[in-house]
Amino acid sequence: MQHVANLTEVHSRTDAVAIEVERLSHVYAGPEGGVPALQDISMSVGVGRFVVIVGPSGCGKTSLLMMMAGLRQQTEGTILCYGRPILEPDPKRVGVIFQEASLFPWLTTLDNIEFPLSLRGTPREERRRRSQAMLTLVSLEGFGERYPHELSGGMKQRVSIARGLVQDPPVLLMDEPFAALDEQTRMTMGHELLRIWSTTRKTVVFITHSLTEAVYLADEVLVMSARPGRIIDHIHVTLPRPRTYEMMATDVFGRLRDRIWQQIRKAA
Amino acid sequence: MPLAHVAYLSLFIDWLFIDWKETRPEPRTAIVTHSQIVAARLALLALVLGAWEVLPRHGLINPLLLPPLTDVLAMLGDLLGRPTVHEAVAITAAEVVVAFIIAVPLGAAVGIVIAENEYVGDIFKPMLFYVFSIPKSIFLPMFILVFGIGFQQKVAYAAFTTAFVVMMSATAAVESVRSDHVLVARSYGATPTQILLRVYVPSMMPILLETLRISMIFNFTGVMIAEMYASRTGIGHLIANWGENFQMPQLFAGVIVLAAVAILFNEAVRALEARCSTWRT
Repeated sequence: MQHVANLTEVHSRTDAVAIEVERLSHVYAGPEGGVPALQDISMSVGVGRFVVIVGPSGCGKTSLLMMMAGLRQQTEGTILCYGRPILEPDPKRVGVIFQEASLFPWLTTLDNIEFPLSLRGTPREERRRRSQAMLTLVSLEGFGERYPHELSGGMKQRVSIARGLVQDPPVLLMDEPFAALDEQTRMTMGHELLRIWSTTRKTVVFITHSLTEAVYLADEVLVMSARPGRIIDHIHVTLPRPRTYEMMATDVFGRLRDRIWQQIRKAA
Repeated sequence: MPLAHVAYLSLFIDWLFIDWKETRPEPRTAIVTHSQIVAARLALLALVLGAWEVLPRHGLINPLLLPPLTDVLAMLGDLLGRPTVHEAVAITAAEVVVAFIIAVPLGAAVGIVIAENEYVGDIFKPMLFYVFSIPKSIFLPMFILVFGIGFQQKVAYAAFTTAFVVMMSATAAVESVRSDHVLVARSYGATPTQILLRVYVPSMMPILLETLRISMIFNFTGVMIAEMYASRTGIGHLIANWGENFQMPQLFAGVIVLAAVAILFNEAVRALEARCSTWRT
């Protein structure tokens, strides 16, 4: 359990822990008995940290995120968010951003952003005030009255991020949010996300397939093995912040990227 | 034959006023304006109506088979003054409305249950889909045996044919709800009731409204077929009678009345649809 020892060290370096996963395992019920999906996962995410999880397809990283969001139940183990277990979706503590922007096509941009607030009966003026602020945060002023089909892929994902942030949860879980975007938009969006993150100081858990994206965004990268998913490496990204595109050409960046790739290849 | 006339005439008049552009995703470059298009349609209508008047008048078409338009319109004016026609229209409209009120909730409920519940769906779907493919009019003699030839028989038969259409569409409507939308709502802590009202209902709305319109067409057709097959009243009965007695001016006048009623129902649902579907992509 070398990675556990590794994580303990991270504890001592951060002031407080936002998410704590303890000995989490998950088995899917299949027609021929249980299929182990996640195996003995322990990890902890410090407050305000940007943690990226990478791993091969089907390793269960999305499942893990869904469990952190309270959208799926694990077979074993616990997930604590600010010391309290996550048993069901709790939008006050955790906001989730999905791979598809999943905006409601019958709502305008502002109404989409306000959706979480409207579920809780927040008064209309306050909803508008907060959704306008979010719209500014994601640089979409002037698009508030547009419908999703009038927005580009990148803009939709910005709206989705605004919707995730509108209730001001301390934790943001992001499941490959830029995977459906083209390479250029994806780079821009990654940079945008770091800007938003640095102004809001959220704790972020971010899932991706992209090694470049992982190194570029993360404070820490967790590498998962193929099914059943285990955490096989924990890498600290020592690049300074704010990150710049030029850093991608540096040796440090290349070495980190390479280390993740080697781990994934070994584990597959 | 008269029923086919109704269908064609209704389609034609519908076609005349639809802004076809609304069905295109990309706006066309304005080479022809909408008013010009409407003008062209009206010209075409005038041409058809003119031919209807002139061709039989000059013996190019046998006026016994197609009476000139003005004769038909004169007959129409005459018919609209007759209490028997008023009564027939009122009865047909009542049958249409009652059958619709029975068929839509019934079909929607069955459709939603088989779409939402995997086991119920697996058991009932094949049978329902097979029955759906059978022309419903072959069941008409059974309806007559059970319900007689009165009001109930028309309503029962029309509701039966319509419920199938509603059921199929309701199934499609449920399947059009995207699971990622439901997941998003859940992640923001939506209750089951909120998910139903805020995700399911708006997701299904475009298909449900379309369903209302199409099922109304089937519903009206059901009532007409039942009336023409065996009945003592209703527009369908009158038209069938006039046809059998070779009273062509009455027949065509009846077709015009029927087409007007059918288009009225259709447009009423379409207006509702347009108001509720601003988000349709």
